[in-house]
Amino acid sequence: MSATTVAPVAVKKNYLTALNEALAEEMARNPLMLCQGEDIGKLGGAFGVTEGLQATYGDHRVVDMPISEAAIIGSAVGMALNGMTVMAEMQFIDFISCGFDQIVNMMATYHYRTAGEVHIPVVVRGPAGAYGGGALYHSQMNEAWFCNSPGLKVVCPSTPYDAKGMLKAALRDGNPVIFYEIKELYRKREIEEELPTEDYIVPLGKAAIRREGKDITLVSYGQNVYHCLDAAAELENVGVSAEVIDLRSLVPLDEETVFNSIAKTSRVIVVNEAPMTCGFAGELVARISTKAFHLLDAPPSRVTRMDTPVPWVKPLELHVLPTVDKIVAEAMRIVKF
Amino acid sequence: MSAKSGSATAERAEQAIKPSQNLSKEDCLELFKQLYLARYFDVRLIKEKKRGRLRGTLYSSHNQEAILVGSLFGLAATDWISPIHRDMPAFFMKDFRFGVDNPNRLGMSIEEVCCQVWGKEGSPGRARDNWSHIGSKSKKIIHSTSMLAGTIPVAAGVVYADRMQGGNAVCLTYNGEGSTAQGIFHEAINYAAVHKLPVITIVENNQWAYGTPVEMECPTPDVADRAKGYGILGLIADGQDVFDVYDKVMQAVEHSRAGNGPSIVECKTFRAYGHGDHDDDRAMKYRPAKEIEEGRKRDPIAVCRKRLIELGYLTGADKTSYMAEGKNAGESSNDDFPPEIIEFMNKGIEFAMNSPMPAAEEAEQWVFWDGDKP
Repeated sequence: MSATTVAPVAVKKNYLTALNEALAEEMARNPLMLCQGEDIGKLGGAFGVTEGLQATYGDHRVVDMPISEAAIIGSAVGMALNGMTVMAEMQFIDFISCGFDQIVNMMATYHYRTAGEVHIPVVVRGPAGAYGGGALYHSQMNEAWFCNSPGLKVVCPSTPYDAKGMLKAALRDGNPVIFYEIKELYRKREIEEELPTEDYIVPLGKAAIRREGKDITLVSYGQNVYHCLDAAAELENVGVSAEVIDLRSLVPLDEETVFNSIAKTSRVIVVNEAPMTCGFAGELVARISTKAFHLLDAPPSRVTRMDTPVPWVKPLELHVLPTVDKIVAEAMRIVKF
Repeated sequence: MSAKSGSATAERAEQAIKPSQNLSKEDCLELFKQLYLARYFDVRLIKEKKRGRLRGTLYSSHNQEAILVGSLFGLAATDWISPIHRDMPAFFMKDFRFGVDNPNRLGMSIEEVCCQVWGKEGSPGRARDNWSHIGSKSKKIIHSTSMLAGTIPVAAGVVYADRMQGGNAVCLTYNGEGSTAQGIFHEAINYAAVHKLPVITIVENNQWAYGTPVEMECPTPDVADRAKGYGILGLIADGQDVFDVYDKVMQAVEHSRAGNGPSIVECKTFRAYGHGDHDDDRAMKYRPAKEIEEGRKRDPIAVCRKRLIELGYLTGADKTSYMAEGKNAGESSNDDFPPEIIEFMNKGIEFAMNSPMPAAEEAEQWVFWDGDKP
C-alpha cells in the first residue's frame, strides 16, 4: 500500500460559501432547525446562500414560502414558540419592511412580555447594502429600525470567517437576530479566506480591530470597513496613522473596544452607509460624546449616506454614499482640528 | 389531498349526525354552566371597575360567550388556542371540562387571570402588558398582542412545528371581523392553506369594529366566503347558539385532523357594549339603541336554556332558576348566578387584590434571553 500523503490544498472560501456552510452545519447539528424564505429550496435562494440545503434536508425543513415576509417571520415566531430554531430569509433586506410588525411587535417583545417564559431563536437574514447599482429597493441598510426595537440583536459581518462564525452564533443565541449580509461581499475575490475545518463561532457583541493606528479611529461595519481600510492606506501616505474598527455587532455593542481605541487616538469618525439622521453612526457618536468625551481632542464625526434614498446609476449612487475620498477628507479635517 | 376533495369531506360531515347530538346531559349542563361563568366574569369585572377597585380597560365578551364556550369545549388537551381582547374568559376556560382543580388541565387558573386583570405579579406575564396580553407556552395558549390578526401566522408556525414533532394538534385563533381587513389575515391564511396547516380561524363577527359598522369594513356580508378563495373550508355558525358553535368548530377540527388543512368559522354575533368599557357611553352615539335592544333578545344563555328545556335536561324549578340573560352589568345581581360561580370568581379576585405588584426593577428584565439559568 502506498504511503504517499498528499498535503491538503488550502481552499479559500468566499463570504457566500461561508454562510452556506454555516446553515448546512447548523441544520445537521439541530434536527429542530428549519429554513424558510422565498425561492430558497430548489433554486437555493436568489443569491445561492441556501444552495443544496433542500436536497439534503427535505422540503419540510427547507421551505419555499409565498411572497409574504409577514408570514415568513410570523410563522417562524410560532415555530420558535413551539420548540424550533428558524432561519428566515429575506430575499433582499429591503423587503423586511413588509414583515415589520411581526418583527418589532411580535418577535422582539416576546421574551419581555412573557416575563421570560418564551424565547425566540429566529435569525432573520438577508442581503443588504448599496454600491452595486441596486437602486432604491435593493440597496438598503435599515439596521437602525431594529436597533431601535428592544429585544432584537443586530449584526453585520464583513469577512467570510465572521459570516460563518456569526451566523452559527446567531442560530444558537436563542434571541431573535437580524443578520445583515453584504451582498457586494458575497463573491468578492479579494476577501476570500481559509476557514477552520472544525466547528467554531464568533461571539455576537465583540468588535474586531482590522488595522492598528495611533492618530485617528475609523469605526465601521459591513463593506464600509473596506472603504475605511483603503482610506487608512491613503492616510498613511500623508503621515496619518488610522486605526480601523469593525463593530461586527451593533446590538449588543462592544463599546469597550471603541473607547480603548479612542483613548489611544483621541479622534474618531464613524462610517456607515445608512442615512445619517437617527442612524447608528449618530447613536455611536452620542455614546462617545457622553462616555468618552474626556478622551477626545476633536469632535467625534461621522461619514454616512446622505439623507436620501439610494439612487440607481453610478454617479448618483456614489454621490450619496460614503467613499474612500470622503472618509480621507473628513479624517484630514478631524486630524487638523 | 386537493382543496376540492377537502370540501367534499366537509359536506359529508355536514350530513352526518351533528357532534352536539352526541353530547351527554352532563356535557350540555356543563356548557350551560360555562356560559354563566363567562358572563359572570364579565359582569363582575364591570361592577368592580364601577366600584373603583380596578384600573385598566375592559373589553367585554358579554353576549359573545357562546363562541368561546362552544369552540373550546371539544378541544383535546394537546390543542392550542390564540384568544384576543374580547376572549378573556378563554384563558381560564380552556380545558375547563377536565375539572377546574385538575392539575393536568392546560388552562390558566382564575387567580392567574385575575392577577393579570389587576396588574399583579401573579399574572402569567407578571403584568408587563395589559388586559388579554398574556398566554402560556406550557398551557398551549398563544400570547396575544394589540396587532389584530397578528397571531394567525404565529398559530400557523406553532402547528407546523407540532406536525414536525409528530403531533396532531389544531390551533383555534379568535379574531374580530374588523381584523379581517388586515394584510396579515390574508397572508397567514394563504400560507396555512398552502401547507394544509390545522389552523381554525374563528371570526367573531359582532358587527362593530370599535366605532365602525361591519358594512364599512367588509365588502361582502359573510367573511366565511373568503375561504373559497383559499380553497379551504368556510363555515358560518350562529354565534348565539353554543351548540351550533360547537358543531361548526368540531366540523372544522375534524377537517383539520384528517389532514385537510385550515378553515374559517364565522360566528355571527352582536357586541352588547362599547368597544371597551371606556367607550360604553360614547357607543350610544354611533349605535342605534334599537339595535342593542334587538340584539339582547337572543342572549346565548337564553338560547341554551331553551334547548335544554326541549331536551328535558332542565325541568321544574331549574327551568327558570338564575335568569342572567338579557341583563347588562347594572341590571344583574348575584341572585342571577349560581353560588359556586360567584365563589369561584371571589377566590380569584381576593387572591389578586391581596397580591403585590411586581418590583419596579423588573421593568428592565427579560429584554434578552440569557440562556437557561438554574
